[in-house]
Amino acid sequence: MNPYLAGTLLGLVLLMAMYLSGRGLGASGGLKYCVVSIVGALDRPHADRSVYYSKYFENGQKPLKNWLPIEVMGILAGGFISGAVSGRLKFKIEKSPSISKTRRLVFAFLGGIFFVYGAQLARGCTSGAALSGMAVLSLAGFVTMVAIFGSAYVFAWFFRKNWI
Amino acid sequence: MGPITSIAGFPAWLDLVIALLIGIGFGFALEQAGFSSSRKLAGMFYGYDTTVIKVFFTAAIVALVGSQFMSYFGLLNMNKVFVNEYYVGAAVIGGVIMGAGFIMGGYCPGTGLSALAIGKIDALFFFFGGLAGAFLFAETYPMIQNLANGNFKGPVKINEVFGLSPGLFIFLLIAAAACMFWVAELAEKKFARPDISSEL
Amino acid sequence: MTARQIITSILLIFGGIMLFIPLSGKYSLREKPGQVLTTVLDESNSLNADQVARFLVTEDSTLLLIDLRTPEEFRECNIPGSVNVPYAEFLKQDPGLYLDDEGMRHVFYSNGDLKSGYAQTLAVGLGYKNCFVMKGGLNAWYVTIMNSEFAGNKISARENALFATRLRARTLFNEVNSLPSSLKLAYIASKRFDPKKLDGGCE
Repeated sequence: MNPYLAGTLLGLVLLMAMYLSGRGLGASGGLKYCVVSIVGALDRPHADRSVYYSKYFENGQKPLKNWLPIEVMGILAGGFISGAVSGRLKFKIEKSPSISKTRRLVFAFLGGIFFVYGAQLARGCTSGAALSGMAVLSLAGFVTMVAIFGSAYVFAWFFRKNWI
Repeated sequence: MGPITSIAGFPAWLDLVIALLIGIGFGFALEQAGFSSSRKLAGMFYGYDTTVIKVFFTAAIVALVGSQFMSYFGLLNMNKVFVNEYYVGAAVIGGVIMGAGFIMGGYCPGTGLSALAIGKIDALFFFFGGLAGAFLFAETYPMIQNLANGNFKGPVKINEVFGLSPGLFIFLLIAAAACMFWVAELAEKKFARPDISSEL
Repeated sequence: MTARQIITSILLIFGGIMLFIPLSGKYSLREKPGQVLTTVLDESNSLNADQVARFLVTEDSTLLLIDLRTPEEFRECNIPGSVNVPYAEFLKQDPGLYLDDEGMRHVFYSNGDLKSGYAQTLAVGLGYKNCFVMKGGLNAWYVTIMNSEFAGNKISARENALFATRLRARTLFNEVNSLPSSLKLAYIASKRFDPKKLDGGCE
């Protein structure tokens, strides 16, 4: 789909989120809720003792029963539908031909660690802070966006072998 | 008057249904934009594919203009819409760490999930790394607490910082975005890599 | 024309429109003038000091007292539990930040009647519900609550309750306002209005 059209579609989805639920989109937060519920299921006493986890179990609430985790499930469903409609469903490891599969997977894993750690610190990822923040004229969103893109450009030189 | 879920008596379960529908729309839009491909996303930083900036700014501006118009016509109460709160150190440092993660993994969580949905294995590893990252943050939270919660400035708005009215700021933003789109098209021609673009 | 040119032209047109419409248009008075005056002049929308004292003493949490005086006057003394929104700030800021709560009753007060009356009129005009004034302001509070004396031998049960309330309000007022400055500042800071926490973000 033409990028500008896709952007308009995405903007309308964000607008709907603001109009219906009074909030922007989000993704990394959903991962956080996953981790919290897994830790709660495996080692509940640790969760109750920790300053960080305990606030998600207050009053016996279930961490997965929140706006973000449900929205994240929707992202999976929506991506699947779009892939199915456009014939893009295929198991593959996407990588540059000049590197090995293992290297790509290792970097993907590391990238995930860094990204979500940073997202938790900055209270948002590109969708939650940067995109939704810009849509409500939030300075935090703007600063986070500049930091992400700026530092990615700087680090791009170091990781160029992986992509080009 | 929106937001709809803030009307008294709105059932909480319906809010979750809305979340699911919004998520479906979000995943659909991301995948349609082609963001389920890490090489397309990384292309933004090497110049051969600037889709990211086009989609990102178009989406932000459409939502911004749309919400401001709705607020003007009394359809949406912007006081009840969440505005991201500014924690100075956390925003900058978190952003830098995210930039590193972006260029290493080639995904951000939203695009990573839509890529996972269409079967990309590297997105699966990104997802697992993401869970590990969230777990790492949760476990080391006491150490990083001061940075994460320090320098709280509240929900500051950009146009207030520059002393502009919302309308003027939006106009300048649109003008800046138009320039960026034009530069992006030029960059795509200059840094073109047909071998990669043909695969995407 | 390419998609880019079409979309940027559309957005630029909208941007141009946004430049000229007053986006802070929500600050224009919405209610009809006659309706505003009726509401403001309605006796039931103005509370006297005794009524406020009773709310204070029974710790009624549905009442939000808004002190329109300057921060210095507020620090000197204020009715315990009230929030300070200096009149100049009230005119500049978006009152929706603290008036949007339909479950609460908002009571404006100042030293006398003028500023609280203006604030109430403006708030009602902007469309906010449940806006009251404390008639006579702090001056009336001092006269009825702080300085009133019980005179006479026989009093009825109702008068007894009235004076008991006044006495308790007086004690509360003196207690809070005679705290040492550091504690007082801490108490005031805790009462400073924090806009209701909205749900959102990617956290």
